[in-house]
Amino acid sequence: MKAASRILGTAFFLEGYEVQDAPRYGAERRGAPIFAFVRASHDPINERGIIRHPDLVVVADDSLVPVPGAGVMSGVDKHTVVLVNSGDSAEIWKQRLNFEGDVYTLPAEAADRAALRFIGAACAGAAARLLGVIRRDTLADAIRQELADLGADVVEVNLAKALAAFDSMQAHEARVTPIKPGSAAQYQPPDWIDLPFEDARAAAPAIHAGATSVEVRTGLWRTLRPVIDHDRCNRCWWVCSTFCPDGAIAVDPDGRPRIDYDHCKGCMICVAQCPPHAISALSEQAAQTAEKAGASE
Amino acid sequence: MTRTLLTGNGAAAWGARLAGIDYIPAFPITPQTEIIETIGKWIDKGEMDARMVTLDSEHSMITAAGSAAATGVRVFSATSSQGLLYAMEMLYTVAGWRAPFVLVNVSRGLSAPITLEPDHNDVLAARDSGFLQIHCSTCQEVLDSMLIAYRLAEDERVRLPVIVNLDGFYLSFTREPVEIPEHQAVRDYVGTYDPENTLFRASSPSSQGVAVLGGGPYSYFRYELHLAARNALSVYDEIAGEFADRFGRRHPAIEAWRTDDADIVFVMMGSFATKARAAVERLRDAGWRVGLVRPRLLRPFPAQLLQQLLEGKQGVAVIDQNLSMGLGGVLHSEVASALYGHDRAPKILASFVAGLGGRDIADEEFFEIASVVRQAIQKGEMPPPRLLYTETELREVRKLQAIAHVEYEELRKADVGKVNGRNAGER
Amino acid sequence: MSETRTHEPVETGVPSSEAKVTVYRRMKDLPSTHLLGSGTAMCAGCGGLEALHEVYDVIGEKSIFVNAAGCMTLLSVYPFTPFRGSWLYTSMASAPAGAQGVRDALDILLEKKRISTAEDMEVVVLTGDGSAYGMGLSSTSGAIERGLDFLYLCYDNEGYGNTGQQYSGATPHGARTATSKGEHGFAGYKKDLFSIWAAHQPAYVATIIGAEPLDLARKIEQAKRLEGPRLVIALAPCPTGWDFDPKYTVEVGKLAVKTGIWPLKEYVDGRVVHTRIPHERVPVEEYLKLQGRFRHLFEPQRDEALLAEIQARVDAYWAGVSE
Repeated sequence: MKAASRILGTAFFLEGYEVQDAPRYGAERRGAPIFAFVRASHDPINERGIIRHPDLVVVADDSLVPVPGAGVMSGVDKHTVVLVNSGDSAEIWKQRLNFEGDVYTLPAEAADRAALRFIGAACAGAAARLLGVIRRDTLADAIRQELADLGADVVEVNLAKALAAFDSMQAHEARVTPIKPGSAAQYQPPDWIDLPFEDARAAAPAIHAGATSVEVRTGLWRTLRPVIDHDRCNRCWWVCSTFCPDGAIAVDPDGRPRIDYDHCKGCMICVAQCPPHAISALSEQAAQTAEKAGASE
Repeated sequence: MTRTLLTGNGAAAWGARLAGIDYIPAFPITPQTEIIETIGKWIDKGEMDARMVTLDSEHSMITAAGSAAATGVRVFSATSSQGLLYAMEMLYTVAGWRAPFVLVNVSRGLSAPITLEPDHNDVLAARDSGFLQIHCSTCQEVLDSMLIAYRLAEDERVRLPVIVNLDGFYLSFTREPVEIPEHQAVRDYVGTYDPENTLFRASSPSSQGVAVLGGGPYSYFRYELHLAARNALSVYDEIAGEFADRFGRRHPAIEAWRTDDADIVFVMMGSFATKARAAVERLRDAGWRVGLVRPRLLRPFPAQLLQQLLEGKQGVAVIDQNLSMGLGGVLHSEVASALYGHDRAPKILASFVAGLGGRDIADEEFFEIASVVRQAIQKGEMPPPRLLYTETELREVRKLQAIAHVEYEELRKADVGKVNGRNAGER
Repeated sequence: MSETRTHEPVETGVPSSEAKVTVYRRMKDLPSTHLLGSGTAMCAGCGGLEALHEVYDVIGEKSIFVNAAGCMTLLSVYPFTPFRGSWLYTSMASAPAGAQGVRDALDILLEKKRISTAEDMEVVVLTGDGSAYGMGLSSTSGAIERGLDFLYLCYDNEGYGNTGQQYSGATPHGARTATSKGEHGFAGYKKDLFSIWAAHQPAYVATIIGAEPLDLARKIEQAKRLEGPRLVIALAPCPTGWDFDPKYTVEVGKLAVKTGIWPLKEYVDGRVVHTRIPHERVPVEEYLKLQGRFRHLFEPQRDEALLAEIQARVDAYWAGVSE
């Protein structure tokens, strides 16, 4: 998403706007949810940091929407346009989000990990059309500039995907409207409190229990799901269970390994290492669809 | 109870011994080393049931102090200047753990240039860390402050580590009469260590000092630390009051000497403040109405008490034995911020910087400070800050520079001493 | 070929005095449920986490992990922690000093009978290579010198991983990192931490890897039995930092061992003993070519000189190892 924000930022800049863009994330590791933002204006920009009232929200990973910590819909109001990269339709998302404003979707590609690399460019392309102030050629220039380090071939693929996404949003061109900033004459006062002193037993940064991490559903990271065929599984020496870095495979009393899908990150080590090849990789999307179909029978 | 001659370091060692400490992570540095040598000797002779370990650096030493306190034992450590700064990262960290223990700092001027004699830049560098700070001016005060510090640190309304500061050389290596209170009386006063929030036990897993992401949660923990430090103001008064009742010696958060009817007040911390007290007596003999205000508690900063003590005074001279480069005396700024906006705050608040690297402050300098303040009061004009330095001292430096082959004459010719086209020092 | 099934001690060519007293004789002796909680923020396929979870199964929850700054600092982010035992984050350089304070405090509490022996726990330092090979050396050296009774687990992903894989004291020659992007990669050489630690003559030093779980379990079991400073380095294949698909983590790990690049050995009773001597060592190329950080050795053309140098250094190492 850093690439997407940079592409948009540069595109705005090339169109003559003042720009401020930045990513927000923690340590530089895979799997950590990140978001990025872009501000563009004809006047110098004094605002900083998170955007409290976005005009446009672009969601590259729709699995983040239910994650409260990700704050995907925070600050959104009915003037906000929401663009979701997803296999589900815009109607479904409008319902799911219970949202009054406009929702558009960018159809998600087949979930092989290779395709994920181009999501940023595709999102930027679609966003550019929704904004209505970035021309097609400018978008292309911005992509060439921002992705130059990746090599000509990679740039071309990104370009193609971005322009395809740009074109696909034709019917919704310029849907995004900038919000007027809030008035200082009339505003909702912040709910300031005088923070009370609290005993160090509460106020020291300590966790007074073990293994609270199980409440974090890292299963949401998955794009591929490992599925065990118990007929092929020969209950070896629990290769899968030992090698799973996250301890998401435990062996039940019968000696059958069981995958904890709430926590499996989809690294596929178990698939790669299972000696009789009893574990296969399914696209997470397909697996979820099958699950829902099964559930509704 | 025994009254005997003790150095400041000796008094600190006695304070630790009487407080019944369990663990001393140590590292030697001038001018504090005598403290750990004394404690080491007592342990080796079986007079103290405690464990002392020399770590590889002060950064490690403070880590071990905090982690031992976090596991649930009473901890003592000591350091100075460069060592305190080497540990600086960990001062903030262990305070953030809310691990209570006492750290003695024997103040010493900071490198560069490296020196051995005292001033307060080292301990003041830690003023934002979350450690509370008590500044002593006599060896008796050092011992007493150690005991008060353990009660303060471990109080459930505080739970923060405390620095007890004594000046190198002028207290650390200087003997003065000190009353050593009786062991059981101290044990009754200090009590046994209650780990409360900070402990590691197999039966109750805990993850301490964990990462906190997000401005909201992070701010919560940091603000709470500050609120605990602010609590320490009232808790200190309670604890020091109890100390006075039991042991007969009063150590208020701020010592006020002959301030009631004073027009002019000196504000000063540390051992040289007793010199200011002596100067106050001589000035009084000469007909001046002068007093001394000596903050002992620096963190938390006793702003309200300071306002009360200085209210209605005509002029105040803050004498800082420290220098914040590019600003001036630290205590002066802190006093100014406490007084600003109060109706009867003194109109003249003058800044004097003195005593860096142990530089003596002569009686005449105190008298002259009083003079400067009086003139300022009469003119109604704030005097500029003054770095105390004499012609004689400069002459001495020139001699040293000559030996050091400083091409002083060449520099003068090249107008290097000029700033903005004028000689530095011209107005 | 199911060469994953057989790891009998007879292959190691070492008198199997340890094998006799181990509970981990075969793969089926490995734990089937795992202690370390899921839900942590480590990358999918993290080789360091794989090693840690295997180690934690053997060490158990009567432990406190004292951590130095690195990727694994983010295992415990308020209010989430995966440890069923305890944890303390210290700083980047002083985790062993933190361990000293905890161990001493526990000993004092036990000695003064303020806690029962049931409350005691194993004190474990957990750091990455950034701390262990670099600024943590001072506090580690001090801890070993003082005979501190603790275990040290270093997960070595050969770079400063948490900040984006800049080169560290553990980075191997020729690797591309965020701060060594030239055509020949990193100009320096991997520091020999095993020898540095062993020179202190601690109770135990060992190298392990998550891809060899039986060897790992036996070594941690051995370490648990001993007292004093016991230090272990786990090579941690890192999909993010070494640039390969996470599913290859175990394969990369196995090749590290089979090529001889990551010797599995122990220092105990004054001797260095290899617990695995790969016969018919696989050429290092097989290991290097799986990783994007060594791509420049193969594309746009092969860097024969660098490949030969890397192979030669590995060959020289094993030439010095007697069977």
